[in-house]
Amino acid sequence: MSAELFFFYVFAALAAGSALAMVSNLRNTVAAALSLVVTMVSLAGIYVLLRAHLVAAVQIMVYAGAVLVLFVFVVMLLNLREDVFPPARLRPFKLAGAALGAVGLAGFLAALAGHVPDMAAVPESFGGYREVGRALFTDYVLAFELVSLLLLAAIVGAVVLAKRRLEP
Amino acid sequence: MSPASPAMNLDFSAIAPVAIVAMGAMAVLVLEVFLARMRSLSEFHVSVALALVATLALVLALGTAGQAFLQGTSSVFNADNPMLRLDRFSAFATVVVGIGALLSVWMSMQYLIELRINHGEHYALLLISTAGMMVLVAAVDILTVFLGLEILSLPIYVLAGFDRRKTTSNEAAMKYFLVGTFATALLLYGTALLYGTTGETGLDGIRAAFPSDNPLALAGLGLVVVGLAFKVSAAPFHQWTPDVYEGAPTSVTGFMSVTVKAAAFAALLRFAGGDVEPAAENLGRILWGIALLSMVLGNITAVVQDNVKRMLAWSAVAHAGYVLVGFTAGAPGHGAVLFYLAAYLFANLGAFAVIVALADRGRDQDRIESFAGLARRRPGMAALMTLFLLSLAGLPGTVGFIAKFQIFSVAVRAEELSLAIVAVLTTVVSFYYYLRVPVWMYMRDPGETPPRAGLDTPEAAVLSACAIAVLLLGFFPNGGFPVPVLQDATVLAWAHEAAAALR
Repeated sequence: MSAELFFFYVFAALAAGSALAMVSNLRNTVAAALSLVVTMVSLAGIYVLLRAHLVAAVQIMVYAGAVLVLFVFVVMLLNLREDVFPPARLRPFKLAGAALGAVGLAGFLAALAGHVPDMAAVPESFGGYREVGRALFTDYVLAFELVSLLLLAAIVGAVVLAKRRLEP
Repeated sequence: MSPASPAMNLDFSAIAPVAIVAMGAMAVLVLEVFLARMRSLSEFHVSVALALVATLALVLALGTAGQAFLQGTSSVFNADNPMLRLDRFSAFATVVVGIGALLSVWMSMQYLIELRINHGEHYALLLISTAGMMVLVAAVDILTVFLGLEILSLPIYVLAGFDRRKTTSNEAAMKYFLVGTFATALLLYGTALLYGTTGETGLDGIRAAFPSDNPLALAGLGLVVVGLAFKVSAAPFHQWTPDVYEGAPTSVTGFMSVTVKAAAFAALLRFAGGDVEPAAENLGRILWGIALLSMVLGNITAVVQDNVKRMLAWSAVAHAGYVLVGFTAGAPGHGAVLFYLAAYLFANLGAFAVIVALADRGRDQDRIESFAGLARRRPGMAALMTLFLLSLAGLPGTVGFIAKFQIFSVAVRAEELSLAIVAVLTTVVSFYYYLRVPVWMYMRDPGETPPRAGLDTPEAAVLSACAIAVLLLGFFPNGGFPVPVLQDATVLAWAHEAAAALR
């Protein structure tokens, strides 16, 4: 087993395990949010193994940094305690959902066996800010501009929903 | 990813409609700030000015798209890495969503004032959403499909909750947002699987490299279809529809019910419409099931609705089913699908415009009881509502009949007999709930509530435009009406020509 493969399994296990911990932690929302940080950082590790260095850095800055801080803020502002949550209901549905998920996962893994391609050889500069920037402003310039339109819509929407004073 | 050449060869005509509409949205945003400060202008005049700016942008966009359609040109923004393609297909779909947006702008003007939610952002959000639809219908890369879908959805989530004083409006926005995001996640997962199994992001590339024996690729295709099925509110992905349609301001409901459906179906046509031969069988089976379920569930549940907006929501589910019948018929069905979307636009928008025009004292009068005796109080409105509902049901002489007939006949020709029989039977059921409203309007005594006086000019214009389109396309779907421009408006043939551009 190469070092790369070893680290991949480490990060993958961490990511999957902490994601599971986040979903199953119903009592402490802050702890759940912190589990999510572990998932995000582990994903960043996997990106590094895939030579996507810039994406890994962005992943840590934006997701593990900004987005998670926002989550924790909201969680703390709402100050949710255990008794706020309604008692668990719909147990049969949950069980059915879990069973369905397990079946799906099994099918997925079965399908995956024998279909995993080798990692493609990538040029030396792949995944650096230079290459990503070049692609972003040449081949993908239209997508880049469209994202700005999307952000404009989000900002206007946020202002409309949150800022406008209600007329009586 | 090819290393980019220093001088990129960009063709801006391919993105002209999108760019014009997006710039219109920004102009509205900027202009509103200045106009709102001018004390000499009344609220209505500000609205008119903003609506005129929006109209200018939409008309220019419609003009460019229409010209591209008539000339039959096909242009790609960046030939090295095609993201958007303005061919006859996307031009046709662009015109459909553009007309829907144009009618919605004028329909909503007086209504927003009546509901005291008249903010200029409404027009900006509506235009941004329209730009997103134009991206979606022209998208030939999975990246632009996703971006288009998001740009069209995000403003509509906000517009659904535009009436912040109303709990149901807030609920509609929240529900649509959560379900819509969920659908987007499914679609993204699907695109990840498609990219992973084919190594391509372009739709043509995916099609060429599609490994039909790979279950992961099939799962990816299925997830993309499910993501889009949420947007067109096809069963079993329709649960959000009634609540959102009822809670959102009616002008927004009208807008989203026709344009989102048209844009998402156009994107689905791009996925399913080309020669995805390896996957066609599996995809066809999925769509067959969705179509059947939508028709049965939509039509039967619509029967028991007492709120007309809710009834139209369930009818939207049913119509998604009819459109999907056209998908199962393969290539000949695609033209029928496009024509159906255009037909649905005028009839459904017209029906919602009637509810908009009946809004009274800041509230929708959308219970079926409030339609009682409408024929005596406002005969014109009652007649228009009857016309639009009959078109939705598919009575001969209206455009709804031509559209449904097209769909049913291609289904029969493709030997999808069981589906065609279900479609005809559910249409018979649909006559019951569509005709229930005219029965209340013509055969019951008016209640206590005095009607809102008069009809405002913009609303009257929208209503008459829809009515004329419903009748004209019903009698002359292939042109020939003895008036100069309409003589050559062979809409039905255009729809089939547009669909031919997919292959």
